[in-house]
Amino acid sequence: MGGESNEGGEMGFKHGDDESGGISRVGITSMPLYAKADPFFSSADWDPVVNAAAAGFSSSHYHPSMAMDNPGMSCFSHYQPGSVSGFAGDMPASLLPFGDCGGGGQIGHFLGSDKKGERLIRAGESSHEDHHQVSDDAVLGASPVGKRRLPEAESQWNKKAVEEFQEDPQRGNDQSQKKHKNDQSKETVYKESSQSEEAPKENYIHMRARRGQATNSHSLAERVRREKISERMRLLQELVPGCNKITGKAVMLDEIINYVQSLQQQVEFLSMKLATVNPEINIDIDRILAKDLLQSRDRNTPTLGLNPFAGFQGNIPNLSATTNPQYNPLPQTTLESELQNLYQMGFVSNPSTMSSFSPNGN
Amino acid sequence: MERQIINKKKRVFSLEPNKNPSAVFTRKYTSHLVPALKKLNMNKNSSKQTVKHEVDMALALSAQEFAWSRFLLQKLSSSTNPTTTTSSSDGIRILERSDKEGGNKEGEIEEKLRELQKLLPGGEEMNVEEMLSEIGNYIKCLELQTIALKSIVQDST
Repeated sequence: MGGESNEGGEMGFKHGDDESGGISRVGITSMPLYAKADPFFSSADWDPVVNAAAAGFSSSHYHPSMAMDNPGMSCFSHYQPGSVSGFAGDMPASLLPFGDCGGGGQIGHFLGSDKKGERLIRAGESSHEDHHQVSDDAVLGASPVGKRRLPEAESQWNKKAVEEFQEDPQRGNDQSQKKHKNDQSKETVYKESSQSEEAPKENYIHMRARRGQATNSHSLAERVRREKISERMRLLQELVPGCNKITGKAVMLDEIINYVQSLQQQVEFLSMKLATVNPEINIDIDRILAKDLLQSRDRNTPTLGLNPFAGFQGNIPNLSATTNPQYNPLPQTTLESELQNLYQMGFVSNPSTMSSFSPNGN
Repeated sequence: MERQIINKKKRVFSLEPNKNPSAVFTRKYTSHLVPALKKLNMNKNSSKQTVKHEVDMALALSAQEFAWSRFLLQKLSSSTNPTTTTSSSDGIRILERSDKEGGNKEGEIEEKLRELQKLLPGGEEMNVEEMLSEIGNYIKCLELQTIALKSIVQDST
């Protein structure tokens, strides 16, 4: 420890020289910085972490902004001393909140553009937020858009991107609100950016404004509504047979309409048939229920509001032709086609009521 | 619970029958429809419209958890001979409309949504999102209804 402290002392001297040089070079009145730095370097009690950080400092180009009591400071070694002059005096202060090196690591990219450093760094911070939210959005179903968002965020740290990200802190603040009204100026910025890439911002649950689109509350609500509708359409797509390949609302709606109409026509036809047949029937409820009635098509579909609608097996109870109000509970298997097949075999060999009944072409 | 198939030694273990919604629906449906048909039978008054009425009534009564069933019941109780299903002319109408429609994509979709709303009992009183969810249930119940009707018809022929 003693040796290390000596080194620290030496480092302190060295840094002391650099500090003075740094001050003269930069001309920044960062006196408070150095006030902070002094106890940092002159303390006799060197934590290993601090020591390592200090060692890191010594190896890299010393930078006044690096003189911070932050163990994560080693990542700041990316900085080039020449760029110090470009930074505003308050920039190191803005660097203070960074706890993770990841945020800092990206900051190195920002060094090219001067005078925007503060905002860039903030943008880097908020872009991380955006990344997290992008993953949320994938859950919401906006994943293709989300994938486009990510590369867009990580690329192009040019001036244009800088302008866009000027708005990001504000966007980050608005994140918690359900809807928000933004200025027209922001809208124009968004429009500019939308021309470069076509990825609109995803809708979060909290209804954030999309890039390149109007940010009125009306249009936001409209978009929410449309998203809900398309979600329902997707569910319907799974319900209606043969709609898996269809993309596009109009065709899908056509299919749904046709399907509903055909079902209704079927019902009508069957009821007509029933009417003609009716006088002669001796309907036995048990027998009806015993049939393979409830064996829907062999598909597992999520149904809105009714879960799960799957293949259902009826079983043949004892053929007591009584009006049994208490219907024998039908054994059911959910989602098991194997058992369905077994049942079918059982049904076929059953001599009693099994007609060649095959609902829905099963 | 176990049920044994009569001629086989397979055993079937049934789940709670009341939990499978399609089973519940079908059971309710047939339980409503068949006695009604029997009653109709007694009265010797089985006109097509009346049977249809009973069919629809059974549908509405078996699916009371859905909004459309309430509308259907209202319709049925208000008029004696309701026709809740659309005839085939509507299909032709759709085709015609799609020919007439210009390239306005949003307008087409709106038109179709409205068409769908007309199909669903009470659909016109709902907003679009609600209607789309209800349509899913309605489709499912219609399917089960057709299956039940088929079995009834086949059973009696």
